[in-house]
Amino acid sequence: MNNSLGASKRKLSGSPKINKVSFFGRVKATISQHIHQLVHNFMELWKTPFATSMTILVLGLALSLPTVFHVVYKNVDRVGGQWESASEISLFLKKDLSEEQIQVLINKLGLYENIETVTYISRHQALQEFKEMSGFSKALNYLDENPLPAVLIVVPVESAMNSAGTKLLVANLEREQDIDLVRIDIDWIEKLQAIFYLVVDIVIAIATLLLLSVLLIVSNTIRLNILNQRAEIEVLKLVGATNRFIQLPYLYIGAWYGFLGGVIAWLFSTIMVIWLESGVVNLTGLYKAKFEIISLTFNESIMLLFIGALLGLIASFISVKQYLVTIEPK
Amino acid sequence: MILFEEVSKVYSDDHIALNSVNFHLKQGEMAFLTGHSGSGKSTLLKLVSLMERPTAGRIVLNGNDISHIKGNDIPYLRRHIGMIFQDHRLLMNRTVLDNVGLPLLIEGYSRFEIKRRSLAALEKVGLSGKEDAFPINLSGGEQQRVGIARAIINQPPLLLADEPTGNLDPKLSLEILTLFESLNKFGMSVLIATHDLGLIAKMRYRTLTLREGHMINDGLLRD
Repeated sequence: MNNSLGASKRKLSGSPKINKVSFFGRVKATISQHIHQLVHNFMELWKTPFATSMTILVLGLALSLPTVFHVVYKNVDRVGGQWESASEISLFLKKDLSEEQIQVLINKLGLYENIETVTYISRHQALQEFKEMSGFSKALNYLDENPLPAVLIVVPVESAMNSAGTKLLVANLEREQDIDLVRIDIDWIEKLQAIFYLVVDIVIAIATLLLLSVLLIVSNTIRLNILNQRAEIEVLKLVGATNRFIQLPYLYIGAWYGFLGGVIAWLFSTIMVIWLESGVVNLTGLYKAKFEIISLTFNESIMLLFIGALLGLIASFISVKQYLVTIEPK
Repeated sequence: MILFEEVSKVYSDDHIALNSVNFHLKQGEMAFLTGHSGSGKSTLLKLVSLMERPTAGRIVLNGNDISHIKGNDIPYLRRHIGMIFQDHRLLMNRTVLDNVGLPLLIEGYSRFEIKRRSLAALEKVGLSGKEDAFPINLSGGEQQRVGIARAIINQPPLLLADEPTGNLDPKLSLEILTLFESLNKFGMSVLIATHDLGLIAKMRYRTLTLREGHMINDGLLRD
C-alpha cells in the first residue's frame, strides 16, 4: 500500500485532471461501462413495470400517428401510380361516323390483344342517359340535334392494367382516326388527390406536435428520475463522478423509452395494416383494381426505432443538461 | 496537504461561518477538528471537499490552489480526497461491494480490478463476507465501515471524516479511530471533525479547535 500511495502522491501535484488508469484501460472500461449501462438500464426500467409500461404506451401512441400516416401516405401514393391505369377507358367517337363505321371500329378494337371488352353507347343512348341523370329532359327536347357523341367503353385486359400498359393502349387508341377523344376516368381521383394533399399538410403539423410531445414526455420522465435520485447523484458527485459519468444512465433510459415507444408504434401500424387489408381488398375488387396494402419495410421499421431512440436520447439530454448540473452535494 | 490562509466563509444570509482561519495540515499528518455545533467544522470540511467556495482567503490542497478552481476540475480533485460522513451517504439500492467500488468505477477501472480491490478494502475494515449485502441490512457501525472502505479504496492522500463516530458506541468509535491511525501510518493525511473530546484526549493528536468561526486552538488538546 505504501508504494501505491507514494505513486498517488506524486501524481497529485499540478493539474487535478490526473487519472491513475492508462488511456487504453479507460477506453476498455468506457466500452464495458456503456455495454453495462445499456443492459442494466433496460432491466432498471422494469423495476417499475406499470409506470414504465404507461410511459412507453403514451410514447408509442404519440409515435403511432406519424407512423400510420406514413403507411397511409405510402399506400395512397402507390394508388396514385395506378391512377393512370384505371379500369375503364372512354372513347368519344367523331359525330359524323355511321353505325357501320362504328361497328368496324368495334371489330378492330376487338382484335387488340390488350383490350378485354368494348361496350358501345350510341348517341341516342347517351342522350337518354343524360336526360335521366341531369333532369334537363324537357330543355334537351328543344335542341335541334343530339350534341352527344357515341362512346365506346374499353376495359383493358388484366395484364395491361398498369401504368405502362394503359399508357401504351391510350397511345394506340389516340392514333385511331375515328376516335375524337380518349379519356381515362380520373377526375374524381384528381379531386381526391387535392383533398389528400391538404390532409397531408394538416397531418404533418399534427405529427410534428406529437413528435414534440415525445420529447416533452421523455424529458419530464427523466427530470422526475433525476429529482427522485438526488441523494444518489450527490453521493456520486462527492466521490468524484463527473456530470458526464452521472448522465450516462439517464441518457440510456431516455433512449430506451424512445426505442420501446417506436416498437409500440411499429406494432400499431402493423396491426392497422392487417386490420384494413381485407377491407381494402374488397373495396378495390369492386373497382376491378388490384391493390395490396403494404406495411413498413424492414428499413423503415429500423428507421422508426432509430428515430424513437434518437428522440428519447435528445429529450433526456435536454433534461440532464437542465437539472443534473444544478444538483450539488450539501 | 491542506493550507488555509486567511480563509473566511460568509453565507448568503450574512452568517459568518469561518473568519480568517489559518492552518497547515502537512502531508502524512493526522489531526482532529473540534468545536461546538455551529463553530464552523462542517464548513471547513466543505471548503476542503469543494462543496463550498471561500468568500475570502486562499485554500491550497496538495499544491493546487482550489479557491477559484473551475467547476469541471472539481470531480477530479475530489478523487484525491477520501470522505467519510456521519450519515454514511451510502447508496441503499446497491450492494456493499458496489458502494465500495464506486470511486474505482468512476475512475475507469476494470470490473475485475474493482472487485479485487473492493474485497481487499472490505477485509481491511473487517467486513469480509458482507460484500453482497445491502447497506440497509447492516448496523450503523457496519455502514460506517462501508463508508470508510469506499473512502480509502483508491488510496487517496487525504482522508476527511465528519463526525465518523457520532452514532457509534465508545468501543466501536475507538476501533474506527484506530483504523484511521493505521491508514495515517501508511502516509495518508487524516483530518477528523468530531466533538467527542474524550476520544481526542485518548488519541493525543494535533487538534484544531473552532469557536464561532475562529480558530482558537491549534495543538494538543489540554486535559
